[in-house]
This record gives sequence, C-alpha cells and structure tokens, in this order.
Amino acid sequence: MDGKRGLSFYILTGVFILFLIFLYGPTITIAILSFQGPEGGLTFPMRGTSLHWFRDLFAEQAVGDIWGSFRRSLALSMMVMVTTIVLSVMGGLAFRRRFAGSTVLFYVIIASLVIPSILVSLGVGLMFNQLGWNINWYTSAFGAQLTWTLPFGLLIMFAVFNRFDRSFEEAARDQGANPWQVFRHIVLPLIAPSLIGVALFGFTLSYDEFARTLLTAGSRNTLPLEIYGMTTNVTTPVIFALGTLTTVFSFCVIGTFIVFALIWQKRQARRVSDAGKGMV
Amino acid sequence: MSSQDQTAPRASLTSAATPGTEAGKPSLARRILSDGFSSWALALPVTLVLAFFLLAPIALIVVVSFWGSTSFSIYPAFIFDNYEYLLGSQVTYSVFLQTLKFAFLTWAITLVLGFTIAYYLTFHIHSLTWQIVLFLLCTIPFWTSNIIRMISWIPFLGRNGIANQSLMNMGVIDQPLEWLLFSEFSVTLAFVHLYTLFMVVPIFNTMMRIDKSLIAAARDAGANGFQILTNVVIPLCKPGMMIGSIFVVTLVMGDFITVRFMSGSQIANMGRLIQNDISLLAYPGAAATSVVLLITVLIMVAVMLRLVDIRKEL
Amino acid sequence: MTKFTKRNGLSRRTLLKGAAASVTAAGASTLGAPMLWAQNEIVLRQAGTGVSAFNEIAAKAKEDLGITLEITALDSDAVAQRVATQPNSFDIADIEYWICKKVWPIGNLQAMDTSRIANYDKIVGIFRDGKLTPESTIAQGTAPHSVGFVEGVDGREFVNNESGWMTLIPTIYNADTLGIRPDLIGRPINNWSELLNPEFKGKASILDISSIGIMDMAMVCESMGEIQYGDKGNMTREEIDKTIAIFTEAKKAGQFRAFWKTFDESVNLMASGEVVIQSMWSPAITAVRSQGIPCVYQPLEEGYRSWGGGIGLNANLSGAALDAAYEYINWYLSGWVGGFLMRQGYYSAVPETSKDFMSENEWGYWFEGKEATAPIVNPQGVQMEDVGAVRDGGSFYDRMGAVACWNAVMDENQYMVRKWNEFIAA
Repeated sequence: MDGKRGLSFYILTGVFILFLIFLYGPTITIAILSFQGPEGGLTFPMRGTSLHWFRDLFAEQAVGDIWGSFRRSLALSMMVMVTTIVLSVMGGLAFRRRFAGSTVLFYVIIASLVIPSILVSLGVGLMFNQLGWNINWYTSAFGAQLTWTLPFGLLIMFAVFNRFDRSFEEAARDQGANPWQVFRHIVLPLIAPSLIGVALFGFTLSYDEFARTLLTAGSRNTLPLEIYGMTTNVTTPVIFALGTLTTVFSFCVIGTFIVFALIWQKRQARRVSDAGKGMV
Repeated sequence: MSSQDQTAPRASLTSAATPGTEAGKPSLARRILSDGFSSWALALPVTLVLAFFLLAPIALIVVVSFWGSTSFSIYPAFIFDNYEYLLGSQVTYSVFLQTLKFAFLTWAITLVLGFTIAYYLTFHIHSLTWQIVLFLLCTIPFWTSNIIRMISWIPFLGRNGIANQSLMNMGVIDQPLEWLLFSEFSVTLAFVHLYTLFMVVPIFNTMMRIDKSLIAAARDAGANGFQILTNVVIPLCKPGMMIGSIFVVTLVMGDFITVRFMSGSQIANMGRLIQNDISLLAYPGAAATSVVLLITVLIMVAVMLRLVDIRKEL
Repeated sequence: MTKFTKRNGLSRRTLLKGAAASVTAAGASTLGAPMLWAQNEIVLRQAGTGVSAFNEIAAKAKEDLGITLEITALDSDAVAQRVATQPNSFDIADIEYWICKKVWPIGNLQAMDTSRIANYDKIVGIFRDGKLTPESTIAQGTAPHSVGFVEGVDGREFVNNESGWMTLIPTIYNADTLGIRPDLIGRPINNWSELLNPEFKGKASILDISSIGIMDMAMVCESMGEIQYGDKGNMTREEIDKTIAIFTEAKKAGQFRAFWKTFDESVNLMASGEVVIQSMWSPAITAVRSQGIPCVYQPLEEGYRSWGGGIGLNANLSGAALDAAYEYINWYLSGWVGGFLMRQGYYSAVPETSKDFMSENEWGYWFEGKEATAPIVNPQGVQMEDVGAVRDGGSFYDRMGAVACWNAVMDENQYMVRKWNEFIAA
C-alpha cells in the first residue's frame, strides 16, 4: 500500500486492465466495423475496409437527419447543463442552512434520482397530453431531463458546501464585501472546479438520455432517439462511424482537459496554496 | 415562517456588513443572497422544477393507473381493473422476480468490481493526476450513444463475433458459445458494463477520505493486508458502497432498453412490461405497473437509506 | 420620407419575390410540376415508419413541388401512439392499415376526397374493392379496403364501399413471407411450419410486434396442422390461447435465437448468421443480399402475409396546407415515388404510373417477375442482382395473388396483446 509494489499491485493492475478491455469492448468493435467496406453491414464478417461510412456520415442519410438531431441534442444538453449548474449552485447555497421543508426537499431530490426514468417520461408525456400542451424537446424533454441531472448537480454541490471553509467568506465580509461580492469573488472561484464536474455530469447525462426523452421529445428527435429511429430502417455502419468519431472527439476533449489540469496544477503549485485539497 | 427565526442572526450579521459597501442600493442578487428567506428563494427554482416535472407527473401516473382504457384511448374512471389484471397474472410475478434477479446479480458484481477498481485507484495510484486520467479513461466509452454500443454487442458476442472468434483461435473452444448473446448472461454483462462506474465513483470518493494514518496504525498494530481491508477499509467505505448500490439497483430496476436489446427481446422485466403497454397505448396498464415498480424501488431505497445517513456522508 | 423608404422596402421585397418566383417557375416548366408552393413556405410534417420515410422523397418533393417535407421515422408502435395522442406533432401520418383501424376512431385524421385524387381510378383494386383481379377472393385479416373508406370527411365509421372519402391514400404494400439463409439451411423450404422445425433450434426468430407477429404465428400453426382458424385475422380467445401456447412451448425449448422489433435487428440477425430462418420484410432481404450474403425471401405453399401502408391527413389541416397535402398525395401517386419504392422491393399503389420511372429491366424484374437483363442495383447504386436473376416469388400477380391474410387488429386485440406479453415474458 505504500511505496513498495507488492503482488497485490500487479494483480489489481491486471484486473484494472481487464476492466478497461471490457469497457472498451464495444468501442473497439464499433471502431473496427466503422471501417467496413461500402457493402458491409453492422456485423461481421468485414466486407473490405474503407472510409466510406465516415464520408457517408456527412452526406444526407436515406432516412432521418443525424446532424439536425445532433444539433438539437447539443442545444438541449447545453440548456440542461447551464440550468443544472445555476440551479445546483442556488440549491447548494440554500442548503447551507436548514429551512422549513429542507428535509422534504432533500428526499424529493433523492426520489428524483431513484425513480425509474421511464416513469418520468410516461408521467411528463401524460401530463402534457392531459393539459393539451404540445410536447417538445425544449419544453417537456428539457424538464424531464432536469429531473435526472439536477439531483447529481445538487448532491455534488451539497458535498462541496459541506466541506467549504467559511472563514474566507467571513474574512471578505469583514473587509466590507456585500453578499453578492462575497459570492462572486470568493465562493464562485472556490467552487469553480466542482462546477466543471457538475457541467460534465449535466451535459453527458442529458446528451445520451434515451428513456426520459422517449415520450417527451415531440416531433423532432434528439440524437439518441434518432439513432433508435434509424434502426427501424436499413441501418448501415454509418452509426458506427458516428460512434468512432464520438470516441475520438471525447479523447480530444479529455486530452485537452488533462493538459489544462496539468498547467493549472503547476500554476497552483507555484502559489502557496492548498485550495486544491478541499476540491474533490 | 420558522425559516425566518432560524436565519435571523445571520440576517443581522449581513446587514452589519453592508454599510461598508459601495452603496446601500439593494440589488436583486444581493437581496436574494442576504434576505431572511434567502434559502427559500434559492431553493425555489429547484423546488418548482421537481414539483412540476417529477411530483406532478408521478401523481398523474398514480391517478391514471385507476383509469380505464379501450384499444385506442383512455378515459377517467376509478376502477381496479389494471391492478386486478396485473396482480392476478402469473406473468407479473415471474417478471418481477426476473427484475429482482437482474438487480441482485448486477449489484453483487458491480459492488465487487467497483470496490476493486476504486481500491486500486486509491491505494495503488499515487498521483492525483494519474487517478483522474485513469478514471477519465473509464468514462470515454460512455460518450458514445448507448444504443450504438448496445447494437455493437451483437458483433462482439455473437456466433461469429470477436469474442467467439478469439476464443476459438486460442483453442479454448471449438464450437461458438451460444449463451454469450441473447441470454441472461449478456443482459447482466451489459448492465455491469453500464453501471460499474456508478459504483466506482462513490466508493472512490469515500475511500479517498480515509485517513492514511489509520491504515498505518493498523499495520503497526500487526494487522496484515487482508485484516486492514476487512477491518478498516471496508467499514469506512460502507457509505460509498451504499450510495453506489442505490444507483445500481434503481437503474437496473427501471431499465427497459438494455433487457430488450441484450436478450433479443426474449426476456422481460418490469420496464419492458411498462414499455409494451405504452407502445400499445394502454397507458392505465402501464401506469399500474409503474406504480408497483415505483413502490418497490422506493421501499428498497428506503431500506438502504436506513443503513446510511446520506446527508452526513456527502 | 418614411413613406418613401417604406415603398422602397416594399418594392425591393416584391422584386425579390418576383425573382424567386421566376426562378422556381423556370424550374417548374422543366420539371412539369403542377403547382409551386415555394413562396408560401409550406412545411408538412410527416410522421411514419422507417419503411417509407426516405429523405430522397422529401428532397424530390421539394424539387418538384416546393413543399418542405419534414419526415420523422419511428417504429410502428410509436407512429400509432403519435397519431393517437399527439395530433399537433404531425400533418401527415404515414401508417399501416391495421394501425388505421386502431387510431381512426379517435378522430385525429380526416378523410380525403377521392375526386381530388387524380390517379384514384388507377389505384390497385386491393385498396378499393379488395380484389386484385375481379376473380380474386379477399384474404383474411384487416384487408385495406375494409378500413379504407368512411362516410364523409368527418366520418368515423368505416364503410364497405367506395364512398368517395378515403381514410388513407395507399402508398406502398407488400407480401411478406419467411426469409431464409439458403447457404446455411441447404435444403428447400416450402412451408411456414418450418419456422418451428427443431432442425433450426436456436436459429429461428420471429418479430416482436404483436399485431404482425400473431399473424406469422397463425400461418405457422395452420401450416403445422395444429389449428384450423375460422379467421386468422380475427381469432377467438381459444385460438389465441392455443397459438400462443404452441409458441411458448417452442420458446422454452430454445427454438428462438432472438425476437426482433426493429428492421435492422432482423438484418443483423440474418447477416451475422445468428438466425437462419425468420419472419422478415422485403427490404431487409435486400439489405442482407447487398452485403453479399445469400438470403431468400422464400415463397411458401400457404401463401403470404400481406400489409399495406398509406398516408392520412391530420384533421387540423386546412386551407393552403390542406391543398399542399393533396398536391403532395397526387405527386406521390404520379410515379416517381412509386418507382423509387418499387426498386426497394415494395409495390406502388398505382404501378402503371411508376413504370415510366423505371427502366424496362427494373420493371421486368421487380414487377413482372422476369429475368434481369442487366444487373439490378439498389437505390444507393450498389449491385444487388446479376443478369438472369429472378425475383423471389415471381411477378406482382403471383405474389399479391397468393396473399393468405393481412396484418390485422382483432376484436380480441387487448386479450391478444396480453397473451403476447406473456409469451415474451415466458
């Protein structure tokens, strides 16, 4: 457990590598099959290799509208992400003290996390239907997705504020800062790294949400629904090409993130600070 | 009302601080942050969203579960037909058991696997940067649409798939393994694939907070690695394990798409019963099944929450 | 001054409008399209199954008519759901006739005036009086003509004659049978009963869409000699119980590798060799074959299970949008779409207009069941068949003349669905 690397280290490294292979199994399959020849299908055997499906991805599909739904998914995820950040921070601040109904609200938040998504989807769909409202990806689906991303964001913020050192705020207040200034110049910078986490959760959970959008998206599909819809017709390896591009894109994003993290860490190290400790 | 007396001292504290600021102008943001009902005001948006998109829809589901339906429409009523049929059918119980079985299997496997991964990341990887890098490496596959990944299991696990081909090339088997795909095995495998990370994260989170000196103390007292694991690490990780378990169990209980894809539609769980009813426009039936599922999940979570004070553990 | 700018602005706009009109008019004269909607920006939202939701059709409609067609592809259950519960989410519903029987009474669709349909008289008899040729007998099940007409634009009850008000304008239809992998089976298959032959244990599949699956099951049970149905398209509870029991037993014995619900699942199952015999749809066969994998749409002695789709108009459509919708329908039946869809293995409701949009070789192969005189390519331009190939099942009249039953919604539909769910869960 300390510096020396015993047998357990090698065994656990082996387990971890196997776990990674397992995690990447589908990703690798997708990657291989996305290079299918123009006549190839979604399964083995390979019918030659080509970049055909990557080109095809950017051409118009026989059925559906991948890029339209991609744009909608992107817009929706952004909306959900921003709303989640703002509401989670507000909620986090609220829960720094007990208030009437805070316990009830807390359990509602937990309930929001554990209630099966298909129920939310069904419920929201039914409700809009009974109220005679149109369901739309930017109204009903947006709300339905928030019930999934908000609990994550809120729980992260609760954890952050539980371990938040109030002395900085008090110091600022003693210096005469008003509450907004305290929030803007003291609290926000300190919780900023965790907000990246909230943002990441909000975005990812929304971007790939299927069940909650299924009955709430209305006439225009989000990407997961579109992909599902595509399977009702001849589907080609073009969806695998999409998968591969997504993976490459994620590697780039995460690579960039790591580079920034390293730079930030170096800058932090130069300062005399242990602020990073309270962060995780 | 009681919120006011609770926050009263704080209000005086903040008002004492204000005179020094640029002006006495009460901006909206400032008022929200400093007023007596600041907590209430801050919690209001979340409350509204959850009330409208969670509580109201769930309430409606409960109401609709007593409605009647024809083959193409639903009508308000107060009848027990949906429950009568649901609870009177042998299928419901077998499906219910099947759902619990998947939840249990997935829970047990992800718990062991998730704990192992978290343990490895915490105690064998020493730099925070590497911990983050390895963790992020685990998350990348999840950025690709779940539906695409699900479809790709077929060429991975199928008769002519990568798994069978590799095993045959290695000489481990000479006939393709049929049970790799469209079986309980493949469903459980996909669940483990999807949800192990939900177990890793909370366990990792609690593990990182274990005071390393405790472990050193245990070693000094003569404990071996295994004893440290069972007597120090596991007890201290219980909250994380419990939170992870809540995630995994509720996600598996409510799933409908994984079971359908990975079993080749041959196995049903509660989610699929609901989905089938929905697709046939039998909303009251779907609502009744939903209520049963909801109650089950809430009971399970309530039991798990008894074992851990989630508010304290955050 | 204000007056001047205003007039100026106005005149510029009219100028632009005029330019746009003249451009589109030029397009119109070369294409011979009857009317143009570009200036009014008519958008029609069409919700349908992936079967006919092709972007090529939308692009061509834009080009020929100037109508923007927004097509959403869904599975058949989802379309039914949308038509039934979300009337504001679509203008045109592209649904199957059995779905029509289910959703028409809800009142979200309006009937179409056949006098406004130019090619109405040329629509195949199946959709009008139910008879392919005057001598034909009408097959069991929800035959399209039986839910094809109502009394007047708001009629909710189906009528049994050509009333002049059509519920759906037929678009495509086909005769379905079992798909097989001849290379992996290696012997002739002639009966529906082969689906449950223990020889194919673990290598068979059936589709998990109850209304269609139950019909395939009935074809199998009848072929096995286990059940004599009064009417496969309208089974009694006993018949449903017995049918499901036979299949439940087979399922428990491991006969099925999987059930499929979406089109591409059936393609994947067949192409990957997971399954060698299963219920299948024509373009799925085409898709497997264009991967170079042998796959036959096996004609069987007992005949075909058939289905038909059509487009229906949202009850809320009126004015210019309704006119545009009629324009679209007339265009749909005028041949180009028919040719496009027939090249995928479907049939057009007005085959004779499609003929002009297909080569003689294509027409011969797809419609007349003749040997291909040149390679047959799919719509993506990939070669599917060599010279000399003949379509499985032969000509239009051979195939559509041997229909044993139509996809159906039964009186005992709810009971059947419950039994079906039990079968899936068993």
